[in-house]
Amino acid sequence: MSPSRGGRLSDADRRALAVVMDRLVPPVDELPGAGEMGLASEVEQRARRHRPLRSALITVMDALSMDMAAHAAGGFRALSEEQQVDSLRQVEAAVPEQFAYFMQLVYTIYYMQPEVHERIGWPGGAVQPDGFDVEPFDESILETARQREPFWRRV
Amino acid sequence: MTEGRGNDRTADVLIIGAGASGAAVAWSLSRSELNIVCLEQGRWTNPANYVTNNDDWEYRGLTDWAFDPNVRGRPEDYPVNDRNSPISPLMFNAVGGSTIHWTAHSPRMHPSDFKVKTLDGVADDWPLSYEDLEPFYDLNDEMMGCAGINGDPANPPRSPRQMPPLGLGEDGKKLAAGFDKLGWHWWPSDNYVNSVPYGGREACNYCGPNGLGCTLKAKASTDVTYWPIAIDNGVRLRTRCRVREITVDSDGRATGATYFDRNGKERHQSARMVVIAANGIGTPRLLLLSRSDAHPDGLANSSGLVGKNLMFHPYAIVTGVFPEGNEMETWKGPLGNIFMSQEFYESDPKRDFVRGYSYQIVRSSGPAWLARGGFADAIPWGEGHHEEFARQFGKTMALAVIGEDLPELHNEVVLDPDLVDGAGIPAPRVNYTLSVNSRSMLDDGIANGRRVFEAAGAVDVLANPLLRSGGWHLMGTAKMGLDPDASVVNEWGQAHDADNLFIVDGSIFVTAGGVNPTPTIQALALRTAEHIAQRLGAGRSGDTNGDEE
Ligand SMILES: Cc1cc2nc3c(=O)[nH]c(=O)nc-3n(C[C@H](O)[C@H](O)[C@H](O)COP(=O)(O)OP(=O)(O)OC[C@H]3O[C@@H](n4cnc5c(N)ncnc54)[C@H](O)[C@@H]3O)c2cc1C
Repeated sequence: MSPSRGGRLSDADRRALAVVMDRLVPPVDELPGAGEMGLASEVEQRARRHRPLRSALITVMDALSMDMAAHAAGGFRALSEEQQVDSLRQVEAAVPEQFAYFMQLVYTIYYMQPEVHERIGWPGGAVQPDGFDVEPFDESILETARQREPFWRRV
Repeated sequence: MTEGRGNDRTADVLIIGAGASGAAVAWSLSRSELNIVCLEQGRWTNPANYVTNNDDWEYRGLTDWAFDPNVRGRPEDYPVNDRNSPISPLMFNAVGGSTIHWTAHSPRMHPSDFKVKTLDGVADDWPLSYEDLEPFYDLNDEMMGCAGINGDPANPPRSPRQMPPLGLGEDGKKLAAGFDKLGWHWWPSDNYVNSVPYGGREACNYCGPNGLGCTLKAKASTDVTYWPIAIDNGVRLRTRCRVREITVDSDGRATGATYFDRNGKERHQSARMVVIAANGIGTPRLLLLSRSDAHPDGLANSSGLVGKNLMFHPYAIVTGVFPEGNEMETWKGPLGNIFMSQEFYESDPKRDFVRGYSYQIVRSSGPAWLARGGFADAIPWGEGHHEEFARQFGKTMALAVIGEDLPELHNEVVLDPDLVDGAGIPAPRVNYTLSVNSRSMLDDGIANGRRVFEAAGAVDVLANPLLRSGGWHLMGTAKMGLDPDASVVNEWGQAHDADNLFIVDGSIFVTAGGVNPTPTIQALALRTAEHIAQRLGAGRSGDTNGDEE
């Protein structure tokens, strides 16, 4: 991994991003981690469309490459899983706001996937035009609340 | 939709800002023969294109459709330097203003809120009473369409609501039972969301994230309530026009406004009277930008109070996690339109703070919203992620503690020396510190919130002591009062320093109350509009927004 230049990820960064995403959102049940699901390119594309997100992604990947340079040859992918998690924690502590925003993007892309929706039991997709069914209001629920005398403060 | 009566001649009334308050004034005045122009920096939005129609609505809510203008960064937005504030101001800039994004939870202030100095010895009394505003609250309810039910013991009796309350949902019922168990007040909220068709608009279909705009127009935003009628009546609404300065004559009276049109060309609109409706941040910004020989410290600022006394409602959020087997699917139904509790609304000498707070009950939303920490902490990444997500998803409800913030001079909006908007106009900076009184109040709200969740059967309670992204209520920065040395406008919203300048947005609030402010903002705006019409000797036709059912 090398520090990204001109606001773009290098090829090495791209490969590392997928592994990073596997550490952030690991496999569960029959689903692989977020990186192995092939979501890194979507993260990069969506980040490119929104300047603050783009800057968060680049900052995190740069910080990660700097952390790597300090203690590893072969880059992030060459580290053990435990070391990868440690490295990510270092970066999270070093650039907390940018890391949090980057995480928001990773979660958002992950939780937009139909196979994830199926696993977590969320109907998924656009919430309009179908909406959801909720029973109309039934006044009988106010039985207790109605017994209270008015208590607003008179002036 | 920019047509209307008249041409570019001097307007009788120039309104700046087409949001909640600007729309109400425009509609009210449009019932007269006055020549009215409104300048709005934003555009029309098309409900059919709102993001909830798309699969990626959670991504859009994080980016170009976010609540925070600094994140959204659209051309019509202006940046706000909020580095000196633990709360980020939120707003939307468009026809409809922040009501495009609002949740439309629509309570009224209490009679006591207008008399805090007399009752509790803090801040100032308002120069008007609840009774003065009541007819205008009623009129606004009719125009926006209010779903609710009479009989709330925490509030004075009020006229019949236009529609029955929205359904509470299984989640709402569970929490209501918790309040009942403790013997604590709760009551279905007044909401400007249609529970049945009203005003030619559809009923809510409980999709959830109505803060991202309502494709059905079931949520009342002023682009679909007041504006269509005002424009039919002849008001000229000019979009993508950003006002840079309100101009004055040598006596300091307003003469109109200089603005950049949609092509970036500088223009001037002259007017006999100017009404500012640019919200609690945009209004002081504009006044401070409008320096002149007659008003060297900014327009209407002889008291030095323009921009001072900024009040948010600081929010704490208490989230209850319900156990397995309580799959309440808490993403079903509008996020914040369920019920409220005002058990702790009024001052109580036994507590270590003055004034009080409301609880607004809020649901959860989609999976990404929960994972990234909607109102609480983000779900941790790494090994434990999926387990914690499963523990919370569809099983959390929250109590939003809406605390009454008291006015303090050091909480302020000033012009930033460096930051500018897309037109090169200085941007506002917010300096804000949470007061000791507000902190104690929120802590009390958290402690009592825990009791509610325990009574309702939650297995865990999470607390967010202060919601950073909760600055959606902007108040106090051009305070109302009778004394020109201690306030910016009088009881009619009229500037003490310029008798043909009126302010109608949340800036004029003397105190904040412990409820969402918009019905009060709009009631004040309607009251001021009637005063202006009388002053200008304008006749009236009495049309309101009759239910078209
Ligand atoms: C996410 C969110 C949720 C909310 N939920 C609720 C709720 O449930 N209940 C409630 O009571 N309130 C809620 N609010 C607050 C509510 O939206 C505001 O109180 C209300 O819209 C304020 O009305 P206003 O007229 O003062 O300002 P706005 O509605 O903000 O309108 C101001 C308008 O002025 C325009 N403007 C500003 N400066 C200029 C300029 N220089 N030139 C031209 N135009 C200008 C802006 O573009 C904007 O359209 C919410 C707000 C947000 C952001």
